[in-house]
Amino acid sequence: MGEVLAALQPIFRDVLDDPNLQINRGSNAATVRGWDSLAHINLISAIEQEFSVRFALGELEELKNVGDMIDLIERKLAAK
Amino acid sequence: MNSYHWSQLSPGLQHSFEVELTGAMIRSFLRLSGDNNPLHTSKTFAAQAGFRDVVAHGMLTASLYSRLVGVYLPGRYCLLHGIDVEFVGPVFSGDRLLVQGEIFHLNEAYRRIEVKASITNGGNELVSRAKIRVGLHEY
Repeated sequence: MGEVLAALQPIFRDVLDDPNLQINRGSNAATVRGWDSLAHINLISAIEQEFSVRFALGELEELKNVGDMIDLIERKLAAK
Repeated sequence: MNSYHWSQLSPGLQHSFEVELTGAMIRSFLRLSGDNNPLHTSKTFAAQAGFRDVVAHGMLTASLYSRLVGVYLPGRYCLLHGIDVEFVGPVFSGDRLLVQGEIFHLNEAYRRIEVKASITNGGNELVSRAKIRVGLHEY
Protein backbone atom coordinates (compact mmCIF):
# COMPACT_ATOMS: atom_id res chain seq x y z
CA MET A 1 0.00 0.00 0.00
CA GLY A 2 1.33 3.45 -0.89
CA GLU A 3 2.14 5.93 1.83
CA VAL A 4 -0.68 8.31 0.96
CA LEU A 5 -3.24 5.53 0.73
CA ALA A 6 -2.05 4.20 4.10
CA ALA A 7 -2.51 7.64 5.61
CA LEU A 8 -5.95 8.02 4.06
CA GLN A 9 -7.21 4.72 5.45
CA PRO A 10 -7.64 5.87 9.09
CA ILE A 11 -9.11 9.18 7.96
CA PHE A 12 -11.83 7.42 5.98
CA ARG A 13 -12.49 5.03 8.86
CA ASP A 14 -12.79 7.88 11.33
CA VAL A 15 -14.90 10.23 9.21
CA LEU A 16 -17.20 7.49 7.93
CA ASP A 17 -17.30 5.83 11.36
CA ASP A 18 -16.46 2.39 10.02
CA PRO A 19 -13.45 0.77 11.74
CA ASN A 20 -13.40 -2.08 9.24
CA LEU A 21 -13.53 0.04 6.10
CA GLN A 22 -10.94 -0.85 3.47
CA ILE A 23 -10.45 1.70 0.74
CA ASN A 24 -8.41 1.31 -2.44
CA ARG A 25 -7.63 3.43 -5.45
CA GLY A 26 -10.92 2.52 -7.07
CA SER A 27 -13.09 3.44 -4.10
CA ASN A 28 -15.57 6.26 -4.65
CA ALA A 29 -18.77 7.66 -3.19
CA ALA A 30 -20.84 5.04 -4.98
CA THR A 31 -18.91 2.10 -3.55
CA VAL A 32 -18.25 3.27 0.01
CA ARG A 33 -21.18 3.27 2.40
CA GLY A 34 -21.82 6.61 4.09
CA TRP A 35 -19.77 8.69 1.66
CA ASP A 36 -22.45 11.33 1.14
CA SER A 37 -22.01 15.02 0.35
CA LEU A 38 -21.49 16.11 3.95
CA ALA A 39 -19.11 13.23 4.63
CA HIS A 40 -17.21 14.29 1.52
CA ILE A 41 -16.67 17.77 2.95
CA ASN A 42 -15.56 16.21 6.23
CA LEU A 43 -13.12 13.96 4.35
CA ILE A 44 -11.63 16.81 2.36
CA SER A 45 -11.22 18.96 5.44
CA ALA A 46 -9.58 16.11 7.37
CA ILE A 47 -7.25 15.34 4.45
CA GLU A 48 -6.22 18.99 4.18
CA GLN A 49 -5.27 18.99 7.84
CA GLU A 50 -3.48 15.63 7.71
CA PHE A 51 -1.26 16.56 4.77
CA SER A 52 -1.15 20.34 5.33
CA VAL A 53 -2.40 20.98 1.82
CA ARG A 54 -5.25 23.04 0.39
CA PHE A 55 -7.59 22.02 -2.41
CA ALA A 56 -9.38 24.26 -4.88
CA LEU A 57 -12.96 23.45 -5.74
CA GLY A 58 -12.03 22.86 -9.37
CA GLU A 59 -9.45 20.27 -8.37
CA LEU A 60 -11.97 18.41 -6.25
CA GLU A 61 -14.63 18.42 -8.94
CA GLU A 62 -12.29 16.48 -11.24
CA LEU A 63 -11.76 13.62 -8.80
CA LYS A 64 -13.43 10.35 -9.70
CA ASN A 65 -12.10 8.08 -7.00
CA VAL A 66 -9.58 7.67 -4.19
CA GLY A 67 -6.83 7.04 -6.74
CA ASP A 68 -7.36 10.48 -8.25
CA MET A 69 -7.28 11.95 -4.74
CA ILE A 70 -3.98 10.19 -4.00
CA ASP A 71 -2.46 11.50 -7.22
CA LEU A 72 -3.60 15.04 -6.39
CA ILE A 73 -2.18 14.84 -2.87
CA GLU A 74 1.15 13.52 -4.18
CA ARG A 75 1.37 16.37 -6.69
CA LYS A 76 0.74 18.90 -3.95
CA LEU A 77 3.27 17.31 -1.63
CA ALA A 78 5.88 17.21 -4.38
CA ALA A 79 5.30 20.91 -5.10
CA LYS A 80 5.98 21.93 -1.50
CA MET B 1 -25.11 39.32 16.02
CA ASN B 2 -21.91 39.11 14.01
CA SER B 3 -22.06 38.90 10.23
CA TYR B 4 -18.69 37.59 9.20
CA HIS B 5 -18.21 37.02 5.50
CA TRP B 6 -15.83 34.33 4.26
CA SER B 7 -13.02 36.76 3.46
CA GLN B 8 -13.08 38.07 7.01
CA LEU B 9 -12.44 34.68 8.62
CA SER B 10 -9.04 33.26 9.48
CA PRO B 11 -7.50 30.65 11.77
CA GLY B 12 -7.14 31.96 15.29
CA LEU B 13 -10.24 34.17 15.20
CA GLN B 14 -11.94 33.82 18.59
CA HIS B 15 -15.18 34.73 20.28
CA SER B 16 -16.60 34.06 23.72
CA PHE B 17 -19.58 34.87 25.90
CA GLU B 18 -20.83 34.15 29.40
CA VAL B 19 -24.08 32.57 30.55
CA GLU B 20 -25.52 31.82 33.97
CA LEU B 21 -27.10 28.39 33.88
CA THR B 22 -30.38 28.57 35.83
CA GLY B 23 -32.85 26.09 37.23
CA ALA B 24 -35.44 27.57 34.87
CA MET B 25 -33.22 26.63 31.92
CA ILE B 26 -32.95 23.06 33.16
CA ARG B 27 -36.73 22.81 33.56
CA SER B 28 -37.32 24.37 30.14
CA PHE B 29 -34.92 21.95 28.49
CA LEU B 30 -36.59 19.09 30.31
CA ARG B 31 -39.95 20.11 28.81
CA LEU B 32 -38.41 20.69 25.39
CA SER B 33 -36.47 17.44 25.19
CA GLY B 34 -38.66 15.18 27.29
CA ASP B 35 -35.53 13.94 29.05
CA ASN B 36 -36.86 13.63 32.60
CA ASN B 37 -34.12 11.36 33.88
CA PRO B 38 -34.07 11.87 37.68
CA LEU B 39 -30.47 13.02 37.48
CA HIS B 40 -32.01 16.25 36.13
CA THR B 41 -35.02 16.42 38.47
CA SER B 42 -34.20 14.83 41.84
CA LYS B 43 -31.58 16.14 44.23
CA THR B 44 -31.79 12.87 46.16
CA PHE B 45 -31.12 10.79 43.07
CA ALA B 46 -28.34 13.15 41.97
CA ALA B 47 -26.75 12.90 45.42
CA GLN B 48 -26.83 9.11 45.24
CA ALA B 49 -24.92 9.42 41.98
CA GLY B 50 -22.32 11.58 43.66
CA PHE B 51 -23.47 15.06 42.59
CA ARG B 52 -24.19 17.99 44.89
CA ASP B 53 -27.33 19.05 43.00
CA VAL B 54 -29.42 18.06 40.01
CA VAL B 55 -27.23 18.00 36.93
CA ALA B 56 -28.00 20.13 33.88
CA HIS B 57 -28.54 18.15 30.69
CA GLY B 58 -25.35 17.90 28.70
CA MET B 59 -27.28 18.79 25.58
CA LEU B 60 -28.53 21.95 27.29
CA THR B 61 -24.98 23.16 27.70
CA ALA B 62 -24.16 21.92 24.20
CA SER B 63 -26.93 24.17 22.88
CA LEU B 64 -24.65 27.06 23.82
CA TYR B 65 -22.38 25.93 21.01
CA SER B 66 -25.29 26.69 18.69
CA ARG B 67 -25.28 30.25 20.02
CA LEU B 68 -21.50 30.45 19.66
CA VAL B 69 -21.56 29.80 15.93
CA GLY B 70 -25.04 31.10 15.09
CA VAL B 71 -24.52 34.47 16.77
CA TYR B 72 -20.76 35.02 17.04
CA LEU B 73 -18.54 32.83 14.89
CA PRO B 74 -19.43 33.42 12.08
CA GLY B 75 -22.90 34.63 13.08
CA ARG B 76 -25.56 35.52 10.53
CA TYR B 77 -24.37 33.31 7.67
CA CYS B 78 -23.77 30.22 9.80
CA LEU B 79 -24.96 26.86 8.58
CA LEU B 80 -24.17 24.27 11.25
CA HIS B 81 -22.82 21.06 9.72
CA GLY B 82 -21.92 19.10 12.83
CA ILE B 83 -20.53 19.00 16.33
CA ASP B 84 -18.35 16.51 18.15
CA VAL B 85 -18.92 17.21 21.82
CA GLU B 86 -17.74 15.69 25.08
CA PHE B 87 -19.13 16.39 28.53
CA VAL B 88 -16.15 16.50 30.83
CA GLY B 89 -17.77 17.66 34.06
CA PRO B 90 -21.20 18.34 35.57
CA VAL B 91 -23.01 21.67 35.33
CA PHE B 92 -25.39 22.85 38.05
CA SER B 93 -27.97 25.58 38.45
CA GLY B 94 -26.20 28.84 39.27
CA ASP B 95 -23.00 27.96 37.42
CA ARG B 96 -21.50 30.84 35.48
CA LEU B 97 -20.35 29.40 32.19
CA LEU B 98 -17.78 30.79 29.79
CA VAL B 99 -18.28 29.59 26.22
CA GLN B 100 -15.26 30.04 23.94
CA GLY B 101 -14.50 29.18 20.35
CA GLU B 102 -11.58 29.59 17.96
CA ILE B 103 -11.31 28.83 14.26
CA PHE B 104 -8.61 26.24 13.64
CA HIS B 105 -9.22 25.33 10.02
CA LEU B 106 -10.80 26.88 6.92
CA ASN B 107 -11.75 24.75 3.94
CA GLU B 108 -11.72 27.16 1.01
CA ALA B 109 -13.25 24.81 -1.53
CA TYR B 110 -16.48 24.29 0.37
CA ARG B 111 -16.39 27.48 2.44
CA ARG B 112 -16.44 25.61 5.70
CA ILE B 113 -14.78 26.53 8.98
CA GLU B 114 -13.90 24.31 11.92
CA VAL B 115 -14.05 25.69 15.43
CA LYS B 116 -12.46 24.32 18.58
CA ALA B 117 -14.75 25.24 21.45
CA SER B 118 -15.02 24.77 25.18
CA ILE B 119 -17.20 25.60 28.15
CA THR B 120 -15.71 26.28 31.58
CA ASN B 121 -17.50 27.01 34.84
CA GLY B 122 -16.90 29.80 37.33
CA GLY B 123 -14.13 27.78 38.92
CA ASN B 124 -12.37 27.69 35.55
CA GLU B 125 -13.02 23.95 35.35
CA LEU B 126 -13.60 22.50 31.90
CA VAL B 127 -17.12 21.07 31.68
CA SER B 128 -17.39 20.52 27.93
CA ARG B 129 -15.28 20.62 24.79
CA ALA B 130 -16.29 20.42 21.16
CA LYS B 131 -15.19 20.59 17.57
CA ILE B 132 -17.77 22.38 15.46
CA ARG B 133 -18.07 22.27 11.67
CA VAL B 134 -19.77 25.29 10.13
CA GLY B 135 -20.57 26.23 6.56
CA LEU B 136 -21.27 29.75 5.36
CA HIS B 137 -24.38 30.04 3.21
CA GLU B 138 -23.57 33.54 1.98
CA TYR B 139 -20.19 35.07 1.35
